[in-house]
Amino acid sequence: MRPDDERYFARLEERLDEAFEVAETAKAQGKDPEPEIEIPVARDMADRVENILGIDGVAERVRDLEGEMSREEAALELVTDFVEGTVGDYDSRAGKIEGAVRTAVALLTEGVVAAPIEGIDRVELLQNDDGTEFINVYYAGPIRSAGGTAQALSVLVADYARALLGIDEYHARTEEVERYAEEIALYDRETGLQYTPKDKESKFIAENLPIMLDGEATGDEEVSGFRDLERVDTNSARGGMCLVAAEGIALKAPKIQRYTRDLDEVDWPWLQDLIDGTIGKDGADGEEGGSNDGDDGDGETDDANGEDEQAGDANDDEGDDDSTGPTGPLRPKPSQKFLRDLIAGRPVFTHPSEDGGFRLRYGRARNHGFATAGVHPATMHLVDDFLATGTQIKTERPGKAAGVVPVDSIEGPTVKLANGEVRRIDDPKEALAVRNGVEAILDLGEYLVNYGEFVENNHPLAPASYVYEWWVQEFEAAGADVQALDDDPHVDLEHPEPGEALEWAESYDCPLHPEYTYLWHDVSVAEFEALADAVAGGEVVEGVLAIERTDRVASALESLLVEHAATPDSLRIPTWRPLARSLGIDDGLRKEWNPADLPRQVREWDGGDNAVKAVNAVAPFAVRERAPVRIGNRMGRPEKSESRDLSPAVHTLFPINEAGGPQRDVAKAASTMDDRGRRGRHELEVAERACPDCGTHTYRSACPDCGAHTEPHYECGDCGTVCEPDEAGRVECPRCEWEVTAATYQEVDLNDAYRSAMEVVGERESAFEILKGVQGLTSTNKTPEAIEKGILRAKNGVTSFKDGTVRYDMTDLPVTSVRPEELDVTADHFRELGYETDIDGDPLRHDDQLVELKVQDVVLSDGAAEHMLKTADFVDDLLAQFYDLPRFYEVNERDDLVGELVFGMAPHTSAATVGRVIGFTSAAVGYAHPYFHAAKRRNCDGDEDCVMLLMDGLLNFSKTFLPNQRGGKMDAPLVMSSRIDPSEIDDEAHNMDVVRRYPLEFYEATREMADPEVVEDRIKLGEDTLGTDDEYRGFDHTHDTTDIAMGPDLSAYKTLGDMMEKMDAQLELARKVRAVDETDVAERVIEYHFLPDIIGNLRAFSRQETRCLDCGEKYRRMPLSGDCRECGGRVNLTVHEGSVSKYVDTAIEVAERFGCRPYTKQRLKVLDDSLESIFEDDTNKQSGIADFM
Amino acid sequence: MPLESNARIVGELASRGYNAEREAVTLLAGADDAAAALEAAVEAAPDDALRITTDHVRAALDDRGPVSNDGSDGAPSGQPSATPVNDDGSPVETKGSGVANETGPTAGVGADDRAGGRDDPGSDEDHRGAAHDRDPSRRELAVGNDMTGHSTGTGEYADFVRTFRDRYERLSGLLRGRVNHRPAEAIADMPGGSDAAMIGLVNDVRSTKSGHWLIELEDTTGTFPALVMKDKGLADVVDEILMDECLAVEGTLADDSGILFADSLHFPDVPRTRVTGGADRHVQAALISDIHVGSEEFVADAWSRFTDWLHTPEAAPVEYLLIAGDMVEGVGVYPDQDEELDVVDIYEQYELFAEYLKEVPADTEIVMIPGNHDAVRLAEPQPGFNDEIREIMDVHDARIVSNPATVSVEGVEVLMYHGVSLDEVIAELPEEKASYDEPHKAMYQLLKKRHVAPQFGGHTRVAPEERDYLVIEDVPDVFHTGHVHKLGWGKYHDVLAVNSGCWQSQTDFQKSVNIDPDAGYAPILDLDTLEMTVRKFT
Repeated sequence: MRPDDERYFARLEERLDEAFEVAETAKAQGKDPEPEIEIPVARDMADRVENILGIDGVAERVRDLEGEMSREEAALELVTDFVEGTVGDYDSRAGKIEGAVRTAVALLTEGVVAAPIEGIDRVELLQNDDGTEFINVYYAGPIRSAGGTAQALSVLVADYARALLGIDEYHARTEEVERYAEEIALYDRETGLQYTPKDKESKFIAENLPIMLDGEATGDEEVSGFRDLERVDTNSARGGMCLVAAEGIALKAPKIQRYTRDLDEVDWPWLQDLIDGTIGKDGADGEEGGSNDGDDGDGETDDANGEDEQAGDANDDEGDDDSTGPTGPLRPKPSQKFLRDLIAGRPVFTHPSEDGGFRLRYGRARNHGFATAGVHPATMHLVDDFLATGTQIKTERPGKAAGVVPVDSIEGPTVKLANGEVRRIDDPKEALAVRNGVEAILDLGEYLVNYGEFVENNHPLAPASYVYEWWVQEFEAAGADVQALDDDPHVDLEHPEPGEALEWAESYDCPLHPEYTYLWHDVSVAEFEALADAVAGGEVVEGVLAIERTDRVASALESLLVEHAATPDSLRIPTWRPLARSLGIDDGLRKEWNPADLPRQVREWDGGDNAVKAVNAVAPFAVRERAPVRIGNRMGRPEKSESRDLSPAVHTLFPINEAGGPQRDVAKAASTMDDRGRRGRHELEVAERACPDCGTHTYRSACPDCGAHTEPHYECGDCGTVCEPDEAGRVECPRCEWEVTAATYQEVDLNDAYRSAMEVVGERESAFEILKGVQGLTSTNKTPEAIEKGILRAKNGVTSFKDGTVRYDMTDLPVTSVRPEELDVTADHFRELGYETDIDGDPLRHDDQLVELKVQDVVLSDGAAEHMLKTADFVDDLLAQFYDLPRFYEVNERDDLVGELVFGMAPHTSAATVGRVIGFTSAAVGYAHPYFHAAKRRNCDGDEDCVMLLMDGLLNFSKTFLPNQRGGKMDAPLVMSSRIDPSEIDDEAHNMDVVRRYPLEFYEATREMADPEVVEDRIKLGEDTLGTDDEYRGFDHTHDTTDIAMGPDLSAYKTLGDMMEKMDAQLELARKVRAVDETDVAERVIEYHFLPDIIGNLRAFSRQETRCLDCGEKYRRMPLSGDCRECGGRVNLTVHEGSVSKYVDTAIEVAERFGCRPYTKQRLKVLDDSLESIFEDDTNKQSGIADFM
Repeated sequence: MPLESNARIVGELASRGYNAEREAVTLLAGADDAAAALEAAVEAAPDDALRITTDHVRAALDDRGPVSNDGSDGAPSGQPSATPVNDDGSPVETKGSGVANETGPTAGVGADDRAGGRDDPGSDEDHRGAAHDRDPSRRELAVGNDMTGHSTGTGEYADFVRTFRDRYERLSGLLRGRVNHRPAEAIADMPGGSDAAMIGLVNDVRSTKSGHWLIELEDTTGTFPALVMKDKGLADVVDEILMDECLAVEGTLADDSGILFADSLHFPDVPRTRVTGGADRHVQAALISDIHVGSEEFVADAWSRFTDWLHTPEAAPVEYLLIAGDMVEGVGVYPDQDEELDVVDIYEQYELFAEYLKEVPADTEIVMIPGNHDAVRLAEPQPGFNDEIREIMDVHDARIVSNPATVSVEGVEVLMYHGVSLDEVIAELPEEKASYDEPHKAMYQLLKKRHVAPQFGGHTRVAPEERDYLVIEDVPDVFHTGHVHKLGWGKYHDVLAVNSGCWQSQTDFQKSVNIDPDAGYAPILDLDTLEMTVRKFT
């Protein structure tokens, strides 16, 4: 590690230590459930694993092993330690195995996700039919977050431990084997699996696995056969088990085999059959099998499926070409997949590979490169603001989804204005100015995707657009002195004058500059000839070429993206010389060729629909394909930046039963009178705690009598024995042998508690609008939080999450270099934070210098900054008014937040990562280093996660608040990583390229649609720097962008009103964009949104539950008495006509307006008739005139 | 133009605007050059004729000289038998049904016992083909329980309550004679240990930890729980209980009067002894369903063989055709259905269906109810088709009524119901009581419960109306359903339950769930004897 990096981490840890010191003092006062900070710091992965598991000694052993072997091998090695008892303190054999399995999963998930604690419930020893013992591993739903490899390996680890302990193998009974097959199929139907094994495969696995996979029920749907089995507790699908068997064992068989080979004790010969795909293949429908084995690669959590198809298809095309001679260009096959489940209000931008859509350009902008897509900010505005920074798009390739980032160093969109003018727009301001006059969006501009994205998705490289960075390398290769031209102030290499470009193309043997290369592949040979004739027949007036206006010629120019103006009878092209030359026409408008000059092969290229060959046949220079590949995409989720509130919002984790009303108003509950006329007395289920000093029993964490910290008091509810927790924290009554909690029903004087809390912090009721509590606590011991904290939260306008922390959610986006200016801070701020030089190594002096971002520095959205300010005020108040300590943050304006530490934390994980605030952005996203996101196990394709203020987490988080149900420990900071080790993050981020320029070979390789590995040696990826001094620096980019928050701040999806308004805007956009087929959009909206909604609600209507309006009691069927059987109140339906028929008229109207298929219209008609039949009285319909005659 | 089959001849004549006498068609089909004969017959018919008669045909054939039937004008009825209709396509008795018949509990419905008679060509033609007189004036057809045009529900809560109350009132009426019903409210006030009985809709059934069953019954005053002990020998009965059916429980109140220990359970059921109806002449009805026109899997060949057969003298007594739903494959029944449709347009599907229906002899009385693939609401009861589709299907004056409906055919009461609830009965009940291979057993359950779709909130959809049209108030003689595409029949307490097969071969979906449909069968019911024969046309 470089000294620079050392200094950086030292600075972070220094501030962390400062905060810890304060928090420790505060906590030591005993006013919280625990007298110490409950988020331990982990310096590395080994620490995290140990902390998450709570098994001592694991970290040390992991560090020992890490140097010597891979993580998977280490996990297996640790099994020996557990079995021998050198690690972990387990007496039972089952306990040892459990420890080993959990540790293995924790290791393989870098100690970040909750799977090891939440996904594995327990391990038990059961008996085979022959009396021998076998091992049963009990999985739960959250095992999902571990990913297939870790899931599969957990089984292997269990088996290895089994072998070492000399326990027998599991022999599945026939009905159990059948049950596995049925259950996995059921789970797939109900929830869906990434990979669904055939029944035969499932049975084969069940028959051969030496370990029994079991788990808790995760769904409502039950299996129909093989029910009530002796050794299976439930008739529902066991999600954890299904995941491990299908996505683990079946999908990752090749990976497991690698490890079984190295272990003498473990032998799984049957894996070979799974890998060969010979299982379940002999049936009639064994088509795939093999293809699925292919993608066992990396994609732990994701999506790699299905992409291989495209690769395969593309190769097929190639094959055809070879045999018959080239008849058309090499292109990736269009894929419709991303259009599935299109939703009303989320527009399509480009139909699959459609002309006029986003043009694929390769490169990585500085705010780009980790499941993101660079879009020109002018495009964002022109698509009616539907795209904003951070908006998710579902995309055709290379991945499935991406987060949109603004990049203005790529080409903008081309539009046709109402006056007939065709213009390219490279300036967001211009986009806004002309937006109302746009008649059609002929082209959406370029779409920047980095090379690493293709590596990550293992997608064949698609032919590159011809762009400056490619041309200039060809130019140089052709012998031009690029350096000299670059230095020449009169020459703009990237945007040359037409004359220069033509001269370069002709004097060097180099293709025409991309600036003047038009999209010839989008016009047919016939159009090409027509255009050539029109140009030859035109005249030049004052340097502008005027040609006759015909529909055909106009449409050709529009497809080519040649900028021009229009008069009623002519088209006027200002920059016409490169066009004329490309058409084989000289400056005197003389056409130098005849139709006969075009050979057959040129005419028939791509069926005559592609004029590239024709251009090259007649132009005096080579002309490359300008934009061969268009990327289809549509809007996914909108970006997010909002505070995380429970629903209803909660200020204090203090229970108030129903007395607070639907608002959960503590004041209201405190003043409610009971039937004996006492105010605020409630029977609450809260923890019973005892004061160690004076013996007082209370629910409070601090003794009301002497102020000492109280401890939970465990009294068995049955026999009254007072119990003590064991080392693992479990409390079991030694006599009754069941789990005992400290929760009891106590009469609490809420009025007094509320008033005295206000007194303690010196606040009056007027300091806040309302103080909201919770109805009841969901934690094991039901320990309530001090109401004081809630009062101060309410006062400062923040609310609490289930674990006591204040959180703010943001969409994740990556950025590797920033300008202080765009973050609304100054170079001074940056220098104070330790930034010294810009990316070129020059001293940092100006606010607009580009600086490489340090890995744990984060940029907050404006909303997040505001929320953090409030949180800081809350924390300061808390320190001053509750703990009697000095204020810690003392913030006045948001600049004061710069340099402060926050936690970043993703859902489904249990580890927080420390980050440092360095600036702010108006985009509704959280920008941070890609490694920071990867450390939280997020990528940036529209994922979102939260930030918390450091001191808030240290003071207010407590494990005792966490719900005791499955998944309760997810999304809670059980441990924090103080520094990021690039080797210990989600390896997806390692595939990001970190170079300033892609080499010529890369562009050549794209033309062959080569696999991305072909050029991997030529382009540096993040993984190439791991473990070196450069692992924290040198994240170069190929494209700059003026500001990382250009374009609209919010997607129109969030600013438009109701669904109808959004849908109208969506369809209007579909009409405007050339690459979008509006009829198809209308069809899909109806098919995927309206029809399912209507059908679903109609179905729900005719088999609905009913509910009492007065007491809320639910009835599966309408009571015969008509009234509520509980309270006599009015019962009503839960699904009404309104919710069934709300979309029908709109859907019918849309189907009509956009000319949908009769099939769709008829489906709507049939449904409309059904609604009428159900909701209208036949005998009470509009009478015809005949009735009155 | 080959005109070998009767159906084609009828179709051809129809396209020229003529109806035809059965004998005339047979004569034409028997002619050496049927096409020419037909042309000639049409020529021979007077301009104002609407119906081609045997006279016209003979006149035409005679004119054309000694081509066929030379001088045979004296034996009109015997003649056709000399010219067998398509040997390979002629119907045969189904083997499958014969087997099912022997093993099943359906003895007496036999196909076999009369199969011999049928197969003997001599006796057959002499006895039936010649003798049967299709006389429309002797027909009697009446429809009951048809709610088409009377859907008065507006989807309000009160409509649902009214529907369930009507169900309770009518079904509890059937049980009141058997037990001494006390309202739930009253039972709760009775002293512990007393004997009590209650009739109610099943609100809940669940097994207790100790293996007993708890049944909660509801009447208009409230609910009351009954405990069925596992050693009472009622396990078999408990297995059959579905939610929301009407049930009577008799037993003893617990000491604290909180629960009723059940001694016996009663279903409304069908009385064992009953006078069944019957026609007073030999006449037959074909009971079919699930035609699925428009599907790629529609078995057009089998259908044509069936309609051809209907034109033979052997089929002359088949004067009624009852179709239990799913005339067409429909649109939007399942996702991406359009990719598997032969005819994508729903109206064209019905037009095509009407064309196929035209192949049926014109003087056949037809009754149709809709099914879940048809273009009507899915919620039951389903009213008959709207006017637009009725016009399309305006063939042979078919009667289109609601699902379910009862049809009284010359004294025989036929309950027609499409059968969506069978899926649920089969799913809920143990395999030996209801399965796809023996769909009639699931039908027995419905008869026993006297309701065609008792369970609310699950698979079956309910549209609330002013009364519960799904109650089987009067015991039918025949219960006719379809939907599950499996052939099965049998008698339950003298009620003949028939699930007719279908006219659609195995679909991809059926393949995936391993259902092998019985396509191309037509159960033929003797209305005078209530005996049934299944004919196979594949």
